[in-house]
Amino acid sequence: MKNRVLVTGIGLVTPLRPFAGAEAFWDAVCSGEDAVRWMPPPLIDAGRKWLMAGIDITGRSEHVCSEDKILFIAEEALRMAVKDARLPEDRKSGLSVGTVLGNILFKEKRLMEGNPHKTKNSFSGESLSNINSFLAKTFNIKGGCITISTACASGTDAIGIAARKISSGEENVIVAGGADVLSDFAVMGFHSLHALTEEKVRPFDKNRSGLALGEGAAFMVLESEKHAAQRDAKIYGRIMGYASRADANHLTAPHRDGRGLVAAMSQAISEAGIKPAEIDYINAHGTGTIYNDRMETLAIKKVFGDAAYSVPVSSTKSMLGHSFGAAGAIETICCLLSINHKKIHPTINYTERDPECDLDYVPDIARRSNVNTAMSLSAGFGGQNSVIITGGI
Amino acid sequence: MKPVVTGRSVLTSRETGPELDKLIGRLKQVRFVHDLELLTVVSVGKLLDEAGIIYPAGNPGLSIYIGIDDAVEDIKDEYFNNILKEGMMGASPLLFPYTSPNALAAQASIAFDIRGESITVSVKDFCRDVIKYAVDCIVQGYTIMAVAGLISISPDDAYSAEFLLIENRNSALRRGAKIYSYNGDWMNEYFRFD
Repeated sequence: MKNRVLVTGIGLVTPLRPFAGAEAFWDAVCSGEDAVRWMPPPLIDAGRKWLMAGIDITGRSEHVCSEDKILFIAEEALRMAVKDARLPEDRKSGLSVGTVLGNILFKEKRLMEGNPHKTKNSFSGESLSNINSFLAKTFNIKGGCITISTACASGTDAIGIAARKISSGEENVIVAGGADVLSDFAVMGFHSLHALTEEKVRPFDKNRSGLALGEGAAFMVLESEKHAAQRDAKIYGRIMGYASRADANHLTAPHRDGRGLVAAMSQAISEAGIKPAEIDYINAHGTGTIYNDRMETLAIKKVFGDAAYSVPVSSTKSMLGHSFGAAGAIETICCLLSINHKKIHPTINYTERDPECDLDYVPDIARRSNVNTAMSLSAGFGGQNSVIITGGI
Repeated sequence: MKPVVTGRSVLTSRETGPELDKLIGRLKQVRFVHDLELLTVVSVGKLLDEAGIIYPAGNPGLSIYIGIDDAVEDIKDEYFNNILKEGMMGASPLLFPYTSPNALAAQASIAFDIRGESITVSVKDFCRDVIKYAVDCIVQGYTIMAVAGLISISPDDAYSAEFLLIENRNSALRRGAKIYSYNGDWMNEYFRFD
């Protein structure tokens, strides 16, 4: 990054203590709380339940109907981040939102009611950019707005792209993050791909059997160093490097040797101007699927060499499930909180070592650690691989 | 140094047949399940041919930046209507991955072995933000070449694709590429050619 990009506010709504703020969230993940439960899909009566991590918004607002859930949690998370950053009311900031399915429940409900439409006349509520428009209007955001949809790397890319815009001097302040919600659409799709676990989410464990779906929204305020200094802002850390690389291999499966992820990690580390051994913590994509966890472990070993065995790696998804476009933003916040609290949250449900996944996955118990530099990894359908490196000041 | 345009392709979903024939035998194997991804792959192939880029590229310096409007909603409608008709059995594992908007860029990256960045942006009719971001990425050195453009649905319900190959000028000069000149349109904000 050419000019330093600082993080001056964070906010998130996740299935763990959803509306209690970032510190309560951090206490929950460091305690190893498991948000994954047997749940029915949101709208369709499928006659069965799946393991998922959901956010209960019942009673939160009389104006919220189920299909507006994504707008509600995104608004709450963004409000937390802006309040945390103590941004002045007359600020000029940009907005960068990552989402995979956007307001998908709106579409589901329309189609369930038998209401067809032609896309040119579509209800604006279904457009991916609807979340962005809603947030920009609600928070009077006057800068550039962009919606990124790069599958499960969307949140990471939204933050990385925002960081580039600040680094280049194009913007001084951008609120960036991601949001997605549980949907019948995704449950049925991942079920059809046999990707969902029927047991616990066990990233990197020998007996891992798949992922659980989750939901959430997470945003952070990114700011140029000069702008932050002028207003004496509180600083969580800085974005040191970001890179995205395509596997160019398969639409749903990761490249078996982690080609794209290796390239993305190497580029992000180079951009941060550090050596792999200087990374103190890796927040893995860590979905709990056979192929992802094996590929990710292999990729880390390729980039870090022998140092791979001494860097702690943990999976937030072991507790929260996979929240698509929100995941990368939540996990980048975990990296920042690790730096600030000098603590690493655990990978829960880890009981048996897999010979092919032989790194230090911080099993079950949080660990005190002098984390100064952390790396968050995200991967997604289409061979997306994105990496963000965060550091202390 | 300002980037330059070294290729351009404009195509609709009604014109993909003959263009696909030209690509046969040169693509990595891909399966097409929807008109949108066929259009994307064929358009990017036409663009790379036009720009003189040999593929499979295997090149991390070549990236793809695609803006997509509500055209992607058609795939989602088709997928979810099948679920409503047939229940869980209607959830197609073949169609589901294509409901993710990035699947179009991904299919192109797979077909032509494009290994740089692959970024999909949600837009409404206008690809200015996508082109601008691609240009910024070249200027700042995050990529050397970029396939950048828009997939959209037109008023007559066909899909259309418009792509540019944008490139670091040194790279274009080194490989002897044809350099386009544009006048009098929105791209002048980014491309002012000598």
